[in-house]
Amino acid sequence: MSTIDEFPTPELAVARRGAPAWTRQKRLVSGLVLTLIIVALAIFGPLLAPHGENEVVGPPYSKTGVLGTDYLGQDVFSRVLYGGLDVLVIALLGTLLGVVLGTIIGVVAAYAGGWWDEVIMRLNDVLLAFPQILLALVVLTAVASPKAWMIIVLVGLSHAPRVARVARGVALGIVSRDFVYAAEALGERRSRVILREVLPNMSAPLLAETGLRLTYSIGLVGGLAFLGFSTNPDGANWGQMINENRLGLASQPWSVLGPVLMIGLFCIGTNLLADGIAQLAHRTED
Amino acid sequence: MNALPPDRPAGLDDVSLSRRQLLRYSSLAAAAVGGSGLLAACGGGGGESGPQQKGGVLVHGATGGSAKDTLDPHRPVQNADIARASNLYEPLLFWDSDYRIAPAVAESVTPESDAKTWTIKLRQGVTFHNGKDVTPEDVLFTIRRVANPKAPTSAGGTLSQILDFDQTKKVDDTTIKVVLKQPYAILDYLLAEYTLGVIPEDFDLKNPVGTGAFKYKSFAPGKNSVFTRYDGYWGDQAFVDELHIQDFADPSAQVNALLAGQVQTIDNLPYNLIDSVKSQGSKVLVSNTGAWVPFTMRVDVKPFSDNRVRQAMRLIVDRQQMIDQALSGYGSLGNDLYAPFDPAYAKDLPQRQQDIDQAKSLLKSAGQDGLTVQLFTGDDIGSVAPATASLFVEQAKKAGVTVKKIVKTPFYGDDYLSYPFAQDFWNTRNYIPQAAVCAVKGATYNETHFDNSKFAGLLQSASAETDETKRNTLLQDAQKIEYDEGGFIIWGFRRQVDGYSSKVQGLKPSRYLPLGSYKFQNVSLTG
Repeated sequence: MSTIDEFPTPELAVARRGAPAWTRQKRLVSGLVLTLIIVALAIFGPLLAPHGENEVVGPPYSKTGVLGTDYLGQDVFSRVLYGGLDVLVIALLGTLLGVVLGTIIGVVAAYAGGWWDEVIMRLNDVLLAFPQILLALVVLTAVASPKAWMIIVLVGLSHAPRVARVARGVALGIVSRDFVYAAEALGERRSRVILREVLPNMSAPLLAETGLRLTYSIGLVGGLAFLGFSTNPDGANWGQMINENRLGLASQPWSVLGPVLMIGLFCIGTNLLADGIAQLAHRTED
Repeated sequence: MNALPPDRPAGLDDVSLSRRQLLRYSSLAAAAVGGSGLLAACGGGGGESGPQQKGGVLVHGATGGSAKDTLDPHRPVQNADIARASNLYEPLLFWDSDYRIAPAVAESVTPESDAKTWTIKLRQGVTFHNGKDVTPEDVLFTIRRVANPKAPTSAGGTLSQILDFDQTKKVDDTTIKVVLKQPYAILDYLLAEYTLGVIPEDFDLKNPVGTGAFKYKSFAPGKNSVFTRYDGYWGDQAFVDELHIQDFADPSAQVNALLAGQVQTIDNLPYNLIDSVKSQGSKVLVSNTGAWVPFTMRVDVKPFSDNRVRQAMRLIVDRQQMIDQALSGYGSLGNDLYAPFDPAYAKDLPQRQQDIDQAKSLLKSAGQDGLTVQLFTGDDIGSVAPATASLFVEQAKKAGVTVKKIVKTPFYGDDYLSYPFAQDFWNTRNYIPQAAVCAVKGATYNETHFDNSKFAGLLQSASAETDETKRNTLLQDAQKIEYDEGGFIIWGFRRQVDGYSSKVQGLKPSRYLPLGSYKFQNVSLTG
């Protein structure tokens, strides 16, 4: 594998300076810490929750418990702890799918060039014209009870055109490099050239894009749940909790603010992380 | 709930006021005043001090509504339809706020001793919104429309079977003779339903006219309808100039509209928001009603075709938890029977309580261990339904039953009445008219598809029985059948809680329908 100097990976930058460069990136570190805390809470929260996900602990919208009760008398704190896993897993898988699809589209377009590039990217532009949530709503309103895989696929599909545009832009700067021509001259298959020569040199910007897409995914998955499209209409789910309790905002604000804070903090975390990765990539470029 | 057991409604008595009856009704009125006070003490009480003034536009935010909304007086489905029908049309008689029969378009409805022939005496001076007098021909047209044997409407299910169409005819300009094929002692019950509004012979649904206090101006299904005050109304004219009825498929939008002052009244205020709405300056109207939000199991499809499964589901429900959590305590226990104000209500049947062990045993004997079912619900049923569905999902887990809650938007769409396991809402009715629309073969809203010949026979016999004691015995036998084999899970009766702006005057609690039976002619606005 060849790696061009202009796009060193963070790992190489670390090795070159003899110290973990990423640890000096405040944004990256704080973003990573925040993200990890929320992820840890989402994964291990159910173990820490004082009550069950759907356990009734008091009158509706009462002050019982750490964060009070929700519209049905369920413990808000417990539901906040339960409510992240579904959102995060669906958002993460949807993001990965979107990034993989988008990268393939973008790289193929860039590498193929010419007529293929034009056709692929114009079709991509058509898809870009659709607001992300609209595409998901069109499909989900047609099914009685959405499955997790449906939401993952829809999130992924809605991300793919956006990732494709970024991926193409990055790939265009790589496919014209000498080492790519050299690999082709050696008779490497196109797929091998893409996998071995082009993609590895796109890792930093793609990682930054993935972080950004993850932020959007959380918003999208939470938004869909808020609108009633979640895998379990009774499950603790941050987006759904905001919807269920929004009427009680005045009388029991934590029933809404709890999940809002979690979504907000996770979005800030992933955004800082993405920003930090982008900065690191730029600095190492310099 | 039964703080005010209703006196036998006018029924076989002439509802016109003779001197003797005036004395009788005076005592009833005294009881009603006391009852109203009691109802008001429940937390409601709409009327404000100070004289009511004319003028203004009242905007009512109705629960539910969809593109299937209708102005058909005889086919209302959900709350928005009922609110519209209640202001545009009037039946011959109506249920008053204490759930007693009172005269409306008819001055009296009187049976012969055999209860096969009834005489309807029309009130003088009642006109349709187009200015024409209500005639016996119009009443006959109305009755024939609802009782059309080929397609009876909700008020006509029973009428279509008992009415002798040939013999029922006009006697003179204000009198109609109704002849039945069989004795039916409570015909006045049927004629008092809001689903039997009197309409003219040349009725046109695109430009509907009735005799209500408001007349039609515009209608957009699923959105908004506008009515104006009818100055030729026979009773007390409405105070407001215009009445707008705005659909709200989403209860949160409905409540926010009230708090923002965009609507002045809303029906079916979510129970968990009563304190919040009060604290934000709006008011609530609480009424003791016989309204119920049942789970409905279709008795003709698996797994509910096996009575053991139905009984198990009834034993799974924690009724008190439903009341405490979904109604914030504003309700009373149900026993899988409806019509709690009916004198025949079978209050002696043992109160069914949650019994998970027996439920498991019944499911096991039915070969339904680890049963999984879908429960269909929707926001347009009212806020209680999705909340109780959530509670039921958890309660069922204790018996090893997996209930998957499916939220349909709209619920009252094409699939309504075909859901195997779902929910619905019903307002106050006495037993026979309620059973006639929901529990016999061919009933308009027989959501459980209940079809029991013995039950139907008892119901028919009771309907023909003029002796009230004997009738009640027959009805209690019928209720025992529903208690043992029916498809409803009736966990409780909810108090009706509606919200209204502090600018609204004149609202009084009603046992029958929300917001003082939607009689917006009594409402005035201040400021």
